[in-house]
Amino acid sequence: MSALSLNRPADDPRIAGRASPRRATRRASDQLFAAVPALWLFVFFIAPLGFTVAFSFGHADFGGVRLGFTLDNYAKALSGFYLEAFLRTIRFAVTGCALCLAVAYPTAYFIARHAGRFRQVALLLVLVPYFTSFLIRVMSWQILLARGGPIEAVLNTLHLHVGPLDVLDTQTAVFIGLVYAYLPIAIIPLYVVLERIPATLVEASRDLGASSWQTFVHVILPLSRPGIATTVLLTGVPMLGELVIPSLLGGDKGVLMGQAISSQYIDSQNYALGSAMAVLVLLAIAVMVALLARLTRGFAEVSA
Amino acid sequence: MSRPALARPALALWYALVVAFLFAPILTSVIYSFNLGALNKQTSLFTGFTVDWYGAAWNNLQIRRAVWTSVVAAFWAALFAVLIGTALGFALVRHPNPNVRRLLAGLTYILLIVPETVIGVSLLLFYAVTAVPLSLATLIAGITPLAISVTALIVRAGVLTLDRRLEEAGADLGANRWQVLWYIVLPHLAPAVTAGALMSYVFSFDNLVVSTFLTTPSVNTLPVYLYGSLQYGPSPAVYAAATAVFAFTLLLVGLAGLFFRLIGKRRATLQSR
Amino acid sequence: MTRQPVSSSANIGLSRRSLLAMLGAALSSLLPSGAFAAGSGALNIYSWPDYFSADDLAAYTKKSGVTPNIATYNANEIMFAKLNSPAGAGFDIVIPSSGWIRQLAEKNLLQPLDHSRIDFGALDPSLLNRDYDPGNRYSIPKDWGVLGVVYDPDAVGGEIKTWQDFFDAGAKPGVSGKIRMTKSASETVGPALWIAGKDWNTATVADINAVAPQLKDFAKHIKTFAGFDPQAMASGAIVLAQANQAAARGAMLQNPKLKWVVPGPQSEIWVDSYAIAAKAENVDQAYDFLNFFLSPAIQVKETEYLGYPAAITGLQGQLSLDTKLAEQIFGGPGVDFKSLTSFIVNPDTIGAFQDVQNQVMAAAGA
Repeated sequence: MSALSLNRPADDPRIAGRASPRRATRRASDQLFAAVPALWLFVFFIAPLGFTVAFSFGHADFGGVRLGFTLDNYAKALSGFYLEAFLRTIRFAVTGCALCLAVAYPTAYFIARHAGRFRQVALLLVLVPYFTSFLIRVMSWQILLARGGPIEAVLNTLHLHVGPLDVLDTQTAVFIGLVYAYLPIAIIPLYVVLERIPATLVEASRDLGASSWQTFVHVILPLSRPGIATTVLLTGVPMLGELVIPSLLGGDKGVLMGQAISSQYIDSQNYALGSAMAVLVLLAIAVMVALLARLTRGFAEVSA
Repeated sequence: MSRPALARPALALWYALVVAFLFAPILTSVIYSFNLGALNKQTSLFTGFTVDWYGAAWNNLQIRRAVWTSVVAAFWAALFAVLIGTALGFALVRHPNPNVRRLLAGLTYILLIVPETVIGVSLLLFYAVTAVPLSLATLIAGITPLAISVTALIVRAGVLTLDRRLEEAGADLGANRWQVLWYIVLPHLAPAVTAGALMSYVFSFDNLVVSTFLTTPSVNTLPVYLYGSLQYGPSPAVYAAATAVFAFTLLLVGLAGLFFRLIGKRRATLQSR
Repeated sequence: MTRQPVSSSANIGLSRRSLLAMLGAALSSLLPSGAFAAGSGALNIYSWPDYFSADDLAAYTKKSGVTPNIATYNANEIMFAKLNSPAGAGFDIVIPSSGWIRQLAEKNLLQPLDHSRIDFGALDPSLLNRDYDPGNRYSIPKDWGVLGVVYDPDAVGGEIKTWQDFFDAGAKPGVSGKIRMTKSASETVGPALWIAGKDWNTATVADINAVAPQLKDFAKHIKTFAGFDPQAMASGAIVLAQANQAAARGAMLQNPKLKWVVPGPQSEIWVDSYAIAAKAENVDQAYDFLNFFLSPAIQVKETEYLGYPAAITGLQGQLSLDTKLAEQIFGGPGVDFKSLTSFIVNPDTIGAFQDVQNQVMAAAGA
């Protein structure tokens, strides 16, 4: 990239010593694109979150917080029970994310590279279910997975399962629901990236003697890394805060982080402790995400 | 060389299974909106066929208003998310200062990380302290950040696959930065932006936790209503309402798609002359 | 030379001008219209979803010309948080459960009711003047429920008469793994406290922590804490469940084999109540609404719609004859109302209750 840009006199700093008008508008547009979102998010998101941080150091008052400075909340948040919940949640999110990726990748691959003219219809078909309410769909999974319900009937007929189906209110049901809920958001980044891989690259690889599988592993897969990284971010991280699906499909067992924090705020009306837990979770996940971002940085730029 | 021949039908089968998986609950909810139920509540077993629940849903003012509020809020949230999220997604990759990029990236990721309960409570208290009355506007502002983050990350993935030389070619031919962005970059980002818009609308419509804290007497959303109905058991009326909304959304998207396709054909024929 | 993906933009066919035109039209149609935002009629109610029958609401609108705005919450705690924050203004009538009335009152979120403006004549005296709101200073009963146990006697292998029977039955094979307990902390810890002879309103944090180990030990038998699903009981996925009497009725109607009991030595009665918010703006309208909905004729219809009993005297005799399992609506025969207590949320102990609940739920999922 840099070799190319030095060939262009207008961008060469030695020649275009004073800022050319074109460079000025480039800077203006860049600053605007960074400033407007940052400002919006600061007002509607960061500033309110400042409350959370302030509360985490406060004294718990039923339904409120007496501002002050104490580390009691953090001590309690780091105690055995919540630490276990946190680790449990990480395991949960990693599994869910991996499952999502496994289901989404072949689907995105098919839509991007094998659907031809029907590419957009194929993608739309995957997105259409999401035009109806999420809760209703999860509630419908309750109906589907119930004992004596439709899926049990289908499985019995196909002889894939004998007898009553007891999958509702188990971890299995939760993962089914999880994959279901996060599938579109997993498919889209993969699709966006896979669609842009030029067919000529694939042809070139084949011409050089690679088999289909080798082409996939050595050409396509690496080029789709930004998509995979985005998918992991968009699925794995929100899964850490998931509380609706484990509640509706998992019998509300096995307290996860989202539920633990929510319970502190709502059930116990303990804003201080809830805030401390939230801050800790934020920090831990921020560290993990930073690591992930760093790992994928080497593969960030994809140019054909 | 039988591999290419095997790959396509296998992938096609996988795709078909995934689509069936995705549609199963939709089909179920549509079918069960006609379920008689028991004691005015929904049941897992189909007890009888009736269309009464559609009438009941329409007569239920709470459901009607909740649906309308959700639609309006989701639309505005998606609009802001597309505008702001696309800008953010672009800046995440293209801002010349790497420290700014890192800051923006951190901001975007934080949006995903923070549990919704925390956002909800913070916003409720924030508006209390700043004496801003809760309204539809505060609801929209509360659910937009997540949509912005999703859009930004999708657009970012798209921007990463952009060929910079196209933009430079445009600049060489005399276009200013805004023209380059509008005529060259935006069309290439169209799939990502559209996907971001759709996802933003969908996630905003379905937003539950943050919305719970920001509802008011005249601003109630469908997911909040639905989740509350789980306490005493939902009635098939909400399934009827959801099916109606689904049909309506399908219609809208179908019409929009048709419209764009017509425009596209007209432009294509214009260009070919 | 790279493949130029021009095709994708043509397929999507984005013409900028037409896109903007469409957006403009769509935007103007989606601006929140004044008529909608103001709401027709001035009465704002904060309640559970679907907690009034549409017919009765329509009847009220017809009579008074006012259409109530009903916003919904999905937990009493959320209602408390909303009312407790200055941003939670605008509500006139709220429907708190008995447990929360004292806390709401102590924080001055409810206004004392003017008894001269309400007709108490038809209300059942045994449900008035209870410990959660002495003298009914702030609340009027809307409907009530008792905590009991619904079970399949064949699977459980006998009858259940006390809470100890419940826990013993739960450990048996064939029952273990098919139990539903409630998500509500008080209703999980309560039975253990009652077995130990304690009262849940006077129990200390030490008492609560003392019963935690046996509950956590029991957790491995529990299948779900989620909302009671009559279908699951009817199909045998759950054979032993804590539930309130109306939810159990739903299961018993589908599976007549099931039995219901309010176990000894004690159990809970909760009373969802009408209350008027301290900063209510439409107080007159609120009293008008209350008097309409507290009239016996409407109460009977509400009971038939909701399945939860209203608090008027002689209600059972007034229900229509084709109401199935009418007795069950009232908790079944032989309920000793004197042994029923209401939980009152106490800031000093609620955290401990919730901690035990979280530990039990976590242990169940391990």
